[in-house]
Amino acid sequence: MTADSSAPEPAAPGGPGGRPKKPRRKPLTLVVVVGLVLWTWFTGRQVGFDLTTFIDLWTNPLWEKFWPVPWEWVLDRDNVIDPLVETFQIAVVATVVGCGLALPVSFAMSRLTTPNGGTYWVTRVVMNIVRAVPDLFWAKLLVTAVGIGAFAGTWALSIFSLAVMVKLFSETIDGADPRPLEAARAAGGRHVPSVRAGVLPTVLPSYVAYSLYIFELNIRASIVLGLVGAGGIGRVIEAQRQYFRFGRILGVLLIIFVVVFVIEQISVALRRRLV
Amino acid sequence: MTATVPPDERHEGAPAGRPERPVGPLVARAVVFVIIAGAFAWGASGLDASWARLRSAPGDGWAIFRLMWPPDFATELDRGVIGKVLESVYIAWIGTILGAAISLPLAFLASNNVSPSFIRLPIRQLFNAIRAVPELIVAVILIAITGLGPWAGALAIGLHSVGTLGKLSSEEIESSDRGPVEAVEACGGRWISRVRWGILPQVMPVIISYWLFRFEVNVRASAVLGMIGAGGVGAELISQLNFRNFPEVGAVLIITIAVVIFIDTISSAVRKRIIAGGAGDDQSRMAVLFGDLVGHRGG
Repeated sequence: MTADSSAPEPAAPGGPGGRPKKPRRKPLTLVVVVGLVLWTWFTGRQVGFDLTTFIDLWTNPLWEKFWPVPWEWVLDRDNVIDPLVETFQIAVVATVVGCGLALPVSFAMSRLTTPNGGTYWVTRVVMNIVRAVPDLFWAKLLVTAVGIGAFAGTWALSIFSLAVMVKLFSETIDGADPRPLEAARAAGGRHVPSVRAGVLPTVLPSYVAYSLYIFELNIRASIVLGLVGAGGIGRVIEAQRQYFRFGRILGVLLIIFVVVFVIEQISVALRRRLV
Repeated sequence: MTATVPPDERHEGAPAGRPERPVGPLVARAVVFVIIAGAFAWGASGLDASWARLRSAPGDGWAIFRLMWPPDFATELDRGVIGKVLESVYIAWIGTILGAAISLPLAFLASNNVSPSFIRLPIRQLFNAIRAVPELIVAVILIAITGLGPWAGALAIGLHSVGTLGKLSSEEIESSDRGPVEAVEACGGRWISRVRWGILPQVMPVIISYWLFRFEVNVRASAVLGMIGAGGVGAELISQLNFRNFPEVGAVLIITIAVVIFIDTISSAVRKRIIAGGAGDDQSRMAVLFGDLVGHRGG
């Protein structure tokens, strides 16, 4: 790298055949590095950073409580399997609703395909605000609004996955080839048919790939929804942790782990074939 | 439409006419539609979503937001909400630093152009295993072990970040250019020199941008961690919501949104500079800066 950039200069510092001179570091670099180190040190103090916790963590006697796993309890239908199915149902519905709504909204939020400037800015501002609220905040708010249960969780995840999907997909539309759209407009197409024929086919594979990705995110998110009372397997973990039944929690975790792992492998394989 | 045309007549249309639509994609489309609609119906069946509930839900949701207006900033500032939001940011930062520091060496060991398969595959599976467990669940367990507090949250976020950052970084390392590595090899460089001078300078800008992106994600995650007692703004939101103090909830939400958007904006601007550099031939200040950080002078 260094040799390359100094090659055009005939008299390289250090003489011909000598080692090229090392470029000097800029003072601004030093300022930024020192700033980041100080900031990290300060934040570490604030959160009570403590290396001994690392060591204590492994020797903590509580770990023994995670074993043995009561498999007959864990594999019972009512205890774990039904809430796990509910987790899936939340994720599926939220993905379909969120990604379905995201299709038109994304087109409205891309500079290439937005019908007018007003629509563009309104969707952009609204979606950025929606995305800035963490998913479990949405879940807790909606639990308060519509009551405890999977219904609230589905709403929360639908809203959040809509916002994330719109962000991802509208950026893909921004990068789409504008020429088919121009051709459709030149041929006298109205706005929606032009976008439908000129842009949609080129970005559809990305749309499907992102939807699968959103589904993975939603599976993970719907696992934890239960911690705030929004349904799914999380409520089992929440209930068991209040009684310190660590063996049961470990059993649930192992099942979640296997399921998430399998789904992710399938989803990744599908996405590889798509893009 | 096309489905009504018998297959043997398909090629006998008028030569100047519109070409027939192929049947295959239509069938595939119908199949995909049925699968999605079926999955949706199955999912919706388990959510006790009656029509009455569906109709009233938007109104109920809206009512909550109506109650939050006007937000009560004065009470919240008295209760130290700024400090709690900052605590979430601190947790996210320390979590990201931990994740970055641990994931970087592991990512090299997980890449097929750096390490042999008997080291690579176990580390890869470790990344997959970590990513399969959400950080909130990790935090639930850590809180049980280490007790409540921001440090447990930072550890949970750090652990989860090791999984995601490790995966992304090792993918970046695997797709790096072999040329510089071969150059170092030709000069007699050992393994460590190949990594340090052949690969690290190439991949560092992208990896740093992953770290920043992870920090953005972690800010949201750490805000949520407070809800289960790991410190930060989530605890404040939960307690105000439980007491139905909606104007205070509104204030907490607005402050959280402002901080998250602020961090996202800065972080994405820095990321863009690292990846794309400045316009034209001039290297951007930021790219040079980060190039310096990792000992890389891009040409």
